[in-house]
Amino acid sequence: MIKLIARKEFTEMLRDGRFRLAAAIVLVLLLASLLMGGQHYRELKRQHELAQAETREQWLRQPAKNPHSAAHYGVYAFKPRMLPSMLDRGIDSFVGQSVWLEAHKQNEFKYRPAQDSTAVQRFGELTASTVLQLLIPLLIILLSFSTFAGEREQGTLRQLISVGVRQSDLVWGKALGVSGALGLLLLPATIIGVSALLLASGGALPGASLSRLAWMSIGYLLYFGLFIGLSLTVSARASSAQMALVLLLGFWVINGVIAPRAVADIGRRLYPTPSAFSFQQTIDREMQSGPDGHDSADKRTTALRERVLKQYGVDRVEALPINFAGLSLQESEEHGNLIFDRHYGDLWSRFEQQNRLKWWTGLLAPMMAMQSFSMGLAGTDMFHHQDFAAAAESYRRMLIRKMNDDLTYNAVQKDFSYQAQPDLWQTVDEFRYQAPSTRIALIRQRTSLAILATWCLTSLGVAILFARRMKVD
Amino acid sequence: MIKTIMRHEWRSLLLDRTLWFITTLFALLIGYGASNGSAWVAFQQTALTAAQNEERSRYSQAQAELARIEQGGKASSAFTNPRLPSVAASRAGTRYAILPPSPLASLSVGQSDLYPYYFKVSSQSRQTFLNNEEVENPANLLAGRFDLSFVIIYIFPLLILALSYNLLSAEREQGTLQMILSQPVRLRDYVLGKVLVRTLIILSLTFGFSIAGFLISGGTITTAEGFYRLLLWMGTVGVYGAFWFSLAILVNGAGRSSATNALSLAGLWLLFVLLIPSILNLVVSAIHPVPSRIEMIQATRRASTEATTKGSALMARYLEDHPELVTDREVDPNDFVLRTLAIQAETERLVQPVIDHFDQQTFRQQSLIDRWRFLSPAIVAQSTLNDVAGTSFSRYRHFLRLVEDFHQRWRSHFTPLIVRRVELRATDYENFPVFQFKEESQRGLLRRVLIGLFGLLVPVILTGGFGFRVLRRYSIGG
Repeated sequence: MIKLIARKEFTEMLRDGRFRLAAAIVLVLLLASLLMGGQHYRELKRQHELAQAETREQWLRQPAKNPHSAAHYGVYAFKPRMLPSMLDRGIDSFVGQSVWLEAHKQNEFKYRPAQDSTAVQRFGELTASTVLQLLIPLLIILLSFSTFAGEREQGTLRQLISVGVRQSDLVWGKALGVSGALGLLLLPATIIGVSALLLASGGALPGASLSRLAWMSIGYLLYFGLFIGLSLTVSARASSAQMALVLLLGFWVINGVIAPRAVADIGRRLYPTPSAFSFQQTIDREMQSGPDGHDSADKRTTALRERVLKQYGVDRVEALPINFAGLSLQESEEHGNLIFDRHYGDLWSRFEQQNRLKWWTGLLAPMMAMQSFSMGLAGTDMFHHQDFAAAAESYRRMLIRKMNDDLTYNAVQKDFSYQAQPDLWQTVDEFRYQAPSTRIALIRQRTSLAILATWCLTSLGVAILFARRMKVD
Repeated sequence: MIKTIMRHEWRSLLLDRTLWFITTLFALLIGYGASNGSAWVAFQQTALTAAQNEERSRYSQAQAELARIEQGGKASSAFTNPRLPSVAASRAGTRYAILPPSPLASLSVGQSDLYPYYFKVSSQSRQTFLNNEEVENPANLLAGRFDLSFVIIYIFPLLILALSYNLLSAEREQGTLQMILSQPVRLRDYVLGKVLVRTLIILSLTFGFSIAGFLISGGTITTAEGFYRLLLWMGTVGVYGAFWFSLAILVNGAGRSSATNALSLAGLWLLFVLLIPSILNLVVSAIHPVPSRIEMIQATRRASTEATTKGSALMARYLEDHPELVTDREVDPNDFVLRTLAIQAETERLVQPVIDHFDQQTFRQQSLIDRWRFLSPAIVAQSTLNDVAGTSFSRYRHFLRLVEDFHQRWRSHFTPLIVRRVELRATDYENFPVFQFKEESQRGLLRRVLIGLFGLLVPVILTGGFGFRVLRRYSIGG
């Protein structure tokens, strides 16, 4: 029976010109966004590899110089992209793409690509994720708003019930029919998508990308499922097909257009972040005079000097078997690191609170959960950005420490006239970044996945419940 | 006649729950949008005040230090000695260049959350202080702000469509249309009356709520500038609304069922507000791709390495280019200050083509968008509202130009002092150049807004005219 109903729905949809038009548009947009996404990815990957090699080259080719000057020269770290990012660019256009790793300070990531775009970008970027998150749900609504309400208006619902069709069969049959029509669209889309990915990656999909893509697909299937369930529910309850349509469109607008912005602004109010000015000013002040204002740089140096003199049992700096300037530089580096850790930690936990609010709003507007899940697995969310930033920062600390240690132990009595030989640059390993595994990304996104699954199951369940009790005319 | 229709329509709308629902919803959204916009302006003001305070306290510290030194005290370190012009120009005496929010800034956040709104101008190269972005959660930037212009561009059309998607179809489905048209009423007048009432309601709500929101959020229309910009704002909103009404007339004129009308109008909304902009964005960035900043960083690095290795050779050339700096004193080839200046000048000369290429590409993108934005009234409305609120790219670019000039002035004030090793006194600090923001020209603004308004009016006339033509062939039977 279910099969029969599904086949009827499916055939009817295929004959509907509206569906064919909409499906064609969606398919073309998906194709265009995948191709552009692939090209974008390849271009960024090329630039990234070139720049990474060049910054290393520049570091190694430094002439003999004081290690502290080398620390000031520093290196750049460029954020790599993961292959799935071509499906969902997430926050990538709104965070800086590189960071300068130099002595004394943890720099911000500079150059947000969005600054180099026009204001039209603020309407949203056309990526595969936009099509999947916004357009396909609309297509589902278009396919299914009249399933029950339409049959009721035409009087065919009464006939169906009278010949003894079970209402739950009706729901399953209709859901299957819609899924079938959707599958007809998604199947070629998946084939196109996989070939675009293969093209972008140069032939072979790495395992990590594959598992990320698989989980992304599961998320999107749950998301589509919840829209099918929701449309059937509304169609079963609404007084007319027109009413069902208006209600569903209203939900779509709230879900996809209003919620993301409304929640961002609520988050900003609940968990305000400092201005760049006061953020920098606080750090500068604490660097100068310590967090409590009683620990000035001069005092710290004096204390360090006394400690070191006592440790080596000498009475003046000149008699030390090590270079005091190097030690003092490292000391102030450590002091700065504590301050950076605290302030960046505070800032990032604020961002985290704001983003958590977005997850939980997913209970009302499932796109919020979908967006976060999709970015999370595409490697383009805040978590992946911060993971990279943390890796770059710990590389910076390692590099600076090496330079200061060289100054401390090899520049005895020479201070700033000391010059290290270029083989010192070789002792610093190249910066290599390993992105978090799929498992970690998935654990991070467990809440949003759970929200999507709950939505999907509940909406299908409620659809059956309501269909059982729905009015026949 | 139209008056009677309007009166009747007004009464029946009042009895309809939809209107009340829409009014309440709209009031809430506009209130929320206005308060978000003004929160952002207040945030900017606080940061700007803090910056100005910092400048003031830095100046008085430097002057106190100078007074101490003038009375025979010793400077603590050459790096911070405020007597040295190089220290004053790059640290102790730097000044802020500030882009003040325009009178209507709270109505549209626009691009102002991406662009810096103040710079700490020093004698170093511009690249060192131009990256002064505000701290912000990138996920929030991605979502965009829920400000008044968002409500106008996205939601305002939906409310118009909700009130008018079944303008005629509902009456036909209920059978009342036949009854009405059996009276001596022309269909055209009837539709006009219905649309006019709705326009009056929606526009008075929009204007009333936005002016109220604007005033509550501390905006002033008492200044000529504010009043003028507010008029342009309302004009844009009015014409943008008219476009959506004319679209509803056209779709109703096709004579389909209410459900089909709702679907078609939702599809058109999607097309104009989401699809065309994002496709245009994709096309423009494919035609004029902005070169990567990664390459720019690398070019700057290469240039500075190259300049540093040339070192002393550059110094001679630098002095040849700047004869005004040569004093009777002999130039020491190891002069650190002069050497630094020469290297800096050479680095900037080498990097300039890369930066120019950037500016050209963004400018090309912008002009392409300016031409093709007329494809979607939503883009025209966005760019015009941002222009009026002073949060568009063009006002920011105007600001950048002023900063560029100021930077030149700053350098030409200090370079001779640095080269001649003048020792500054406390009074000299009062004569350092000061940045003055000059508002962009009203004529330029008016020209851009009028082009935008024209770009909105043409589709209104086209769809509206076509809609009323289609109505002639409207079949009133069910």
